[in-house]
Amino acid sequence: MNPDQVFLAPMSSRDQDPVSCDPDSLGAFEARWLAEVVRLREEDGGSPVDSAAVRAAVDRVPGMEARILARACLLGVDDGTLQALRAWRARARLVMWALMGLALLSGFGAAVAVLGDGSRPVNVVWALGGLLGVNLFSLMLWFAGLLLDGADAGGVFGRGWLWISRRISSLGDSGVTVARAQFGLMGRAGLARWWLSAITHGLWLLALCGALAGLLLALSVRGYGFVWETTILPAGAFTAFVDVLGWLPAQAGFAIPDAETVRASGAAAVTHEAGRLAWSSWLTGCLIVYGIVPRALLWAGCLVYVGMGRSRLRLDLTLPGYTALVARYAPTSDRIGVTDAAPGTWHAARVGLPHRVGSRAAAIVGLELRGDVSWPPALAPQIEQMGVLDSREQRRQAIARLEANPPARLLVACDVRLTPDRGSLGLIAELSRHAGDCRVWLIMPTTQCELDRTVHWRDALAEAGFGVQAVFDDRGAALLWLEHGGDNA
Amino acid sequence: MHDRTHPLRIAVVGHTNTGKTSLMRTLTRDTGFGEVSSRPSTTRHVEGARLIVDGEVLVELYDTPGMEDPIALLERLEAIEAPDGERLDGPARVERFLEDPVCRARFEQEGKVLRQMLASDAALYVIDARDPVLAKHRDELEILGGCAVPLLPVLNFASSAASAETEWREALSRLGLHAVVRFDTVAPERDGERRLYQTLAMLLEFHRPLLDRLVAGREREAAARHTAAMRLVAELLVDVAACRIEVREDSASALEAAVDDLNERVRRREQHCVEALLSLYRFRSDDVDADQLPLIDGRWEDDLFNPETLRDMGVKLGTGAVAGAAAGAGIDLMVGGITLGAAAVLGALAGGGWQALRHFGDRLLGTFTGKRQLAVNDAILRMLALRQLHLVRALEARGHAAVEPIAKFVTESGKWREGTLPQPLRRARSHREWSGLLGTVGDETGRSEAIETLRELMESEPERGT
Repeated sequence: MNPDQVFLAPMSSRDQDPVSCDPDSLGAFEARWLAEVVRLREEDGGSPVDSAAVRAAVDRVPGMEARILARACLLGVDDGTLQALRAWRARARLVMWALMGLALLSGFGAAVAVLGDGSRPVNVVWALGGLLGVNLFSLMLWFAGLLLDGADAGGVFGRGWLWISRRISSLGDSGVTVARAQFGLMGRAGLARWWLSAITHGLWLLALCGALAGLLLALSVRGYGFVWETTILPAGAFTAFVDVLGWLPAQAGFAIPDAETVRASGAAAVTHEAGRLAWSSWLTGCLIVYGIVPRALLWAGCLVYVGMGRSRLRLDLTLPGYTALVARYAPTSDRIGVTDAAPGTWHAARVGLPHRVGSRAAAIVGLELRGDVSWPPALAPQIEQMGVLDSREQRRQAIARLEANPPARLLVACDVRLTPDRGSLGLIAELSRHAGDCRVWLIMPTTQCELDRTVHWRDALAEAGFGVQAVFDDRGAALLWLEHGGDNA
Repeated sequence: MHDRTHPLRIAVVGHTNTGKTSLMRTLTRDTGFGEVSSRPSTTRHVEGARLIVDGEVLVELYDTPGMEDPIALLERLEAIEAPDGERLDGPARVERFLEDPVCRARFEQEGKVLRQMLASDAALYVIDARDPVLAKHRDELEILGGCAVPLLPVLNFASSAASAETEWREALSRLGLHAVVRFDTVAPERDGERRLYQTLAMLLEFHRPLLDRLVAGREREAAARHTAAMRLVAELLVDVAACRIEVREDSASALEAAVDDLNERVRRREQHCVEALLSLYRFRSDDVDADQLPLIDGRWEDDLFNPETLRDMGVKLGTGAVAGAAAGAGIDLMVGGITLGAAAVLGALAGGGWQALRHFGDRLLGTFTGKRQLAVNDAILRMLALRQLHLVRALEARGHAAVEPIAKFVTESGKWREGTLPQPLRRARSHREWSGLLGTVGDETGRSEAIETLRELMESEPERGT
C-alpha cells in the first residue's frame, strides 16, 4: 500500500461514479485548486476530448466557472488528481506539524539557554536581546522584503516550509503540478506572499510561546539574580531604558523595576524578593508585548486577509487552458447546418453553335463595361457598334437588333474584374444564338491583371460551350478576328 | 421587449461572389463555416449559424447562395399577375413566384434566397464595393426590397483602392436604402462589428435590446481574448528572460553546443506561443486568409537569431555582452561577477528569496571558478515581444489584408524597441527558477506574479495612433 494513502480522505477513484461528482463537496478553494491542477496537466499533455458522460454532466451545470469546476471534479476524481492533491496537502500538513513542534521546542530551548542554569546572575539586557533580538531582526527583514521586493516576500519560514514539503514529496511530477497549481492560483490573486507570511508569523509565534513557556518554567523552578553591566554607559541610561521599555507592558499590568532596584542591580545581582519579581515580570512583559503580541497580530491579519481573498477567489477564465474550455462549453456560435440543400443539377447556359448566316457583317458589343474601360475601340467602319449592355431594356434591344440582322461574327467584350454570373453567361449564350460565330473578349484593365478572375471566366465560358479559341484576352487578336474572321489571325 | 420565443433571424444575401460566407465566418468566428473561395457560386445552399451570448441564442444568421440572374428574375416577378387581376404587393408577388414550378428550374438559387428572406426578420446585403453599380445590382435590390424585410447594405472591401463606395452609397440612397455600413469581411476594423449591429438596431428598433446584448457580449469576449493573448506573450517573455544555461566544460565546442541548445529552445518556445495565439483566435494556418498573417505556414519567416532580422527591425543588439561574439548573436555569455542590482540583492536577502540569493552566490562563485552562463539577451527579448504583439494585432483585426508590415509596426513601437525593458522582465533575469524553458518551473508564485504584472503593463499600453 502506498504510504500516501494514510493521509487520504476515504475516497477511491474507481468505485465512484464520475458523473455524480459534486464540486461543492470539495470546498470553494479546493475545487478551484483541483481545476488549476487539471488545467496545468492538460496544458502539458494536451487537452483530451471529454467523454459524452462528462459533457452531459457539465452541460447541466449553469455558469461557466461552475462548469469548469464540475468538469475538473469529474476528471480529477477519475484520474487520481484529487488524490494527488490531497496527498500533497497531507504531506504539507505533516511538514507543518513538524515545523510547529520544532519552533516550539527551539523557542523553549532558547529561553532556557538564555537564562542559564542559575549559577550566574542573569544579565537583563542580554537576556532580553536573546529572547527578542532574532525575532525583531527577522520581523524587520520581513517588512523590508515587503517594501523592496514584493514577490519574494513571505519570510524565511514560509519558504522553508514550502521547500521541505517539495523535497520530501514522493509524488513526483504530479506533486510538482499540484504545488504549481496552488501557487499559481494564489500568486495570481496576490495572496501567496500573505499566505507564506502567515506561516512565517505563525511559526515565530509558536517559537515565542515556547520561549515564554521556557522563561516561566526556568523562573519558576530556578533562582536567578538579575544584573546589568556596562563599561562606558552612565547608570541613568539603564534606568531610562528599563522605564521606556517597561511602559507598554506596564499598561497591561506588568511590573517595572523601580529606579532603586535598577540602580542596585547595576552594582550586584539583585536577590531580594521584590526585585526578583519585578525583573521577572518586566522580562516576561517585554517578551509578550514586543514579541508575542505583534507576531500574533500579524499572523491573524495575514490569516484574515488570505481567508477573505480565498473566499473571493475565482478562476481566471482568460487563462489559456480555460479559454479553450469556454469555447467548448459556452461557444459564441454554433452551426445550424444546411437548411435548404443545394440542387443536384442547375440550369447552365449553352452557347449557340457556329452556323451559317446570310450576312457577312461583324458586330461588337460590350457587356457591363465600366467607365474606366475605353469604349468603343477604334474599328473599321463596316463593323457594327452595338454599345454597352447593362439594363434589361438594353439587352432586349440588342437581341431584337441581332434577330433582325444576324451578323456573321459577334464579339462580346466582358470586363474580367466582374464575376462571371449566370445572368451574364445566359446573355452571352443568347447573343451567340443570333450570330454566325460568337467569341468573347476578356478585357483586362492595364492597371491590375486579375489572373484568378480570368481563370473563372474561362472556366465558366468553357462550361457554357465556348472553345478555347473562342475566348480572347488579347485585344489585337480579338479585333483582328472581328475584322477578318478566321482562327489564324 | 422583443419576442423571446425565437431569436432574431438574419439572412445574408447578395450578388454572387461578394463575400457572404466570409461575413458569416467573421460574425460567427467560425473559420470552418461553409466554403469560401474566389470562385463564383461557391455556396449553393442555405446554411445557418447561431450567435450565442451567455448560453442564449440571440441571433440566427443564414448564409444564402448568391443571386446570379436578377435581371431575368425581376422580369419574371413583374410578369406575375393575380388571376383575378388584383394588384399584388412585393411579398405576395414573391410568394406567388415561389409557388411557381418554373422557379425550381431556372431560378433555384434565387428561390432559396427569397424563401429565406421571407422567413427572416432582417437581411444583410453584402456588396463588393470594388464592383461598379450595375443594372443587375439595382434589379437585385428591387427584388429583395420586395420581400418587405429590413435590408442593411454591407460594403465589403470598401477600403480597397478600387472601391466605388461613393457610387454605391448614391445608388443605394436612390433606392431608399440610407442606412449603409462599411464592414470588411476579411479584415474588419476593430469596432466594425459593433457598428454593424448598431446600424442594424436602427432598422430593427424592436430588437435593439437583443442586439445591444450581442454587442456587449462580443466586446466582453474580445477583451477576455486580448487579456489571454497578452498573458501568452508575457509567459513567453518571462520564460526566455529568466532562462540561464550553465556551460560546464571549457571548450569552444561545448559552448557552441550550449548556444545551439538554447537557441533551439527559444525558437521552440516562440513557436509554441505562436500556435497558442493562433488557436486562441481560432485561426487555422490553412485558412484562406492565412497568407495575410505575418507568418508562413504558421511560423515566423525570419530566424530569431539571425542578426539581419534584428537589424531589419531596428532593434539594437545589446551591449555589455562579455563574450557576445563568441556566443553568437542574441546570446550573452557571462563569466560570473555580474551585479544583480542593489535592490534585488537587498530584496532577496530581506524577503528570504533564497533562490535569488543563490543566483547571486552562483555568480559570485563564478568569478572565482570561471564558470560561465548563457542567457538570451535583451535584443532577442525585444524582438520576441515585437513579433508576438504584431501577430496579436494581426489576429485581432482577424485578418489580415489590412495589417501593416511588421517593420512599420516596429518603428512605431518605440517602447519595446529601445529603452529599458519592463521591470518584471528585469527581475526575471535574476530568477532562473521562473523559466519554463529548461523543464519545470521552480517558483510558480514569483513567476505568475511577474507574468501578471507584465501582462497588465502590456494591456495598459495605449493604442498607438489614437
